[in-house]
Amino acid sequence: MKPHPTVADDVPVHVQTRFGAFDVRARDMVSFPEGLPGFEQCRNFVVLTAEHIAPFQGLHAVDGPPASFLTIDPRRVMPAYRCQLSRHDQQRLSAGADTVLLWLAIVTLTEGQAFANLRAPVVINPARMVGFQVMPLNALYPLRHPLTDGE
Amino acid sequence: MLVFTRRRNEAVMIGDGVEVRVLRIGRDGVRIGVTAPPAVAVHRREVYDQIRDENRTAAGGDGPLASLVSRVRTRMP
Repeated sequence: MKPHPTVADDVPVHVQTRFGAFDVRARDMVSFPEGLPGFEQCRNFVVLTAEHIAPFQGLHAVDGPPASFLTIDPRRVMPAYRCQLSRHDQQRLSAGADTVLLWLAIVTLTEGQAFANLRAPVVINPARMVGFQVMPLNALYPLRHPLTDGE
Repeated sequence: MLVFTRRRNEAVMIGDGVEVRVLRIGRDGVRIGVTAPPAVAVHRREVYDQIRDENRTAAGGDGPLASLVSRVRTRMP
């Protein structure tokens, strides 16, 4: 996949995000061949980690319309969290049964509260730098799992 | 929109290998079976819409990040 024209190999590009400024290289980009629901034009994202947002990570689109998500490892939120990928979904990631995958639950900030979307996690195969958002067939986990105590 | 009348156990074929079959007709709903190749994603429409809407809300969220991070940290080991 052709990288974003302003992001060349190994030449860091300064990207300003809602999480702060980051240096991004082409090799940091994760391909999302179908984008995300609602953001189908965003085909390349970077995962941003920084001390000041830990335990969260940023998922920032480097192409398409502006899209910048706060995310968190669903197992930090719910230690027993398990998400089973279909064989087809594994193929979309070029992953085998033993491949170590990166899971990110998208965080919604609304009305002073934070919620993690545990129902439809983003999954990334770091070895192939490819990912997608899982469309669950069941409602095993909540769309809005609270991360903050109610006021 | 193409509109069909189908009876129980009758089906509609869509393209190559997608079949939508009426399994049961109830008073409040129709049970349908979808057969599709693995590469064709099949979702309940409202599930997809819900996740799309949640993504849009999440992308637009612009709350005070620093205070949120500290609030969540206090709840997590």
